[in-house]
Formats: sequence, C-alpha cells, structure tokens
Amino acid sequence: MTQEEVYTKVVQILVKYSKAGLTTDQIKMETNLLNDLKINSARLVDIILDLEDTFNIRVEDAEADNINTVGDSVKLILSKL
Amino acid sequence: MEDPIKLSYKERFSLAFQRFFAWATFPCWGAIVIGLIRFVGWYRIEGIRKVRRHYKQLSRASRKPIIVCANHLTKIDSAIINWSLASMWEYLRSFRLYSWNLPERARYAKNIFLRFLCYIGSCIPVDRGGDRNAVKKSLDKLIYLLQKGHTITIFPEGQRSRTGAVDVENFAYGVGRLVQKVKDCRILCVYLRGYSQKEFGGVPRIGERFYVDTSVVNAQTEHTGLRAARDIATQIINELRRLEQGYFAARRQ
Repeated sequence: MTQEEVYTKVVQILVKYSKAGLTTDQIKMETNLLNDLKINSARLVDIILDLEDTFNIRVEDAEADNINTVGDSVKLILSKL
Repeated sequence: MEDPIKLSYKERFSLAFQRFFAWATFPCWGAIVIGLIRFVGWYRIEGIRKVRRHYKQLSRASRKPIIVCANHLTKIDSAIINWSLASMWEYLRSFRLYSWNLPERARYAKNIFLRFLCYIGSCIPVDRGGDRNAVKKSLDKLIYLLQKGHTITIFPEGQRSRTGAVDVENFAYGVGRLVQKVKDCRILCVYLRGYSQKEFGGVPRIGERFYVDTSVVNAQTEHTGLRAARDIATQIINELRRLEQGYFAARRQ
C-alpha cells in the first residue's frame, strides 16, 4: 500500500470524528488531531482501533500516545505494513 | 496487582502531604461543606442510609482500592457523592474512605480560592484534551493512589452530560485504562440525580431532593490493550444507564 493510499484512508477515518468541518482537501499531514480537527480526546482510542481494523495492525499504548498529527498516523501505519 | 507505578519522590511526597493536609483540616472544611449542603442548599438524599451501608460494607470487606464511577450533571456532584457515601464521623474515623476527585484543571486554575478548595478536597487536576504527557502524569498519579488502596471518584462520561441522561455515545475510556492497570480494584457505580434535574447544570436548586443508587460492577473482558479499556468503560457506562432506569421509575411513582 502506498503512502497516498494510507493517507486517504486515514483521512476518511479522521473526518468521521472531526468537529472542525474541514474538507478532506484542507487536511494535511501536519494537521493536528486535537487542535485542528477538533477531535474529542475521548475519541482517540476509537480512532486507533479503527486504524487497527482498517490496516490490520496492532498499535501499542505508547505508540498511540505519540500520534498527534495526521502524518504521525500515516508514518506509524506505514512502519507496520 | 500490576507493576507498581513509579512516581518521583517529589510527586509521592506531594500527594502524601496533600492527603495529610486534607485530613488534618477536614474537621473544619468538612463541616463547612456539609453545612453548606445540608443547611444552605437544604439538599436531602433519599436512601442515604442504604448507600452508606453499602459503601461501608464494601470498604470493610477489603483494603483493595475502589473506583467510584458516577454520572455527571452538576458542578458539585463530587461533594454530594462524598457526602452520600459516608458521614463526617465515618470520614473522621477513617479518612481513607474519602475519595480523591478529578476536576478539570481549566475550570478552576485561574481562581486561587477554588484551587485551594480543590487541594484540600483531595483533587487531582486533569487536563482534559490537553497535552498528552500531562494527561499521562495525572493518570499515573491516579494509578499510584489506587495501588496504595485509596478511593477515587471518576465520571466516565468525561463531562456533565449534555443530553440530560447518561451519555452512552460520547463517554471516555480512561476509567477502563485505570481498571486495567489496577486489576484488583473494585468498581462502585453511583447514580446521583436531583428529582427536578432535567438537564446538566451548575449548582442544584435549593431544597433539591436527590435520588442515589449504587451497584458494584465486576467488569470482565477478553480483550487486551485499548479494546479492553473500551470494553470495561462500556460495561461501566451501561451499568450507570441501568441505574438511571431506577431513577426514572422512582420519579414516576
């Protein structure tokens, strides 16, 4: 799976939880999940689990704590594929 | 019990001192808080003896830590819950019954008087949605206290419910992570609500009569990691929802 494909799927997942009303075109690799996408921090676990299910990977707690931006998610997923 | 959480000496001393200070000054501020609840707010709890009996049985049965998981509708839920669970005399006899509380730091950080009240009220500030390291530090303190056998009160909904009922859609999973880290803890669900409370608010109206009910949850999960945290938190929220049905049934009578 290419980075672009991973990025597209990640954005599709994040948009479900975002309250910022951004379009997918406005979301970049450096977009912050909490500050820019206005994702409720309580939903971060759901996002991690969605990523696990979508990409068939396992994310450790310590790795989940380091996901702050869209790019962090993409890099982590690529490292596990 | 899982591997003990390692806090720095400064953090451990800080928590111990806070608790000592809270205990030493409790006869004063405890009386004031209870006086405000009973003689200024004129709040009354239906079934308070039953709740206190349940909490006393639970705390005497074992020295294992207790996580009190409650619904959240008003700004003073923690105070009323602590008052519901035990009398001032019980707290004076055994201060370990008095629960630590977890207010959101942003709500009181700018008011020095509130900060002092939170300090003596055994509060650990939580930065909801804030820096992840800061959140982890708060969580580590809670785990440390639980591993020492303390009681903490947590609101699984994460905030006062905007729907007026237990929010089964947008709750946080932090309580699930705590339960995973402190496997021998006991979970006491508490549903507290004023009979005239229709939605979330600040301070309950004067003269409010409260409904309170408790139950112990034996949360089990076959999952691990974050899924387990979500599963455990879901079981707790569902139990609060079940207790809420009792409230609505009582209101209809």
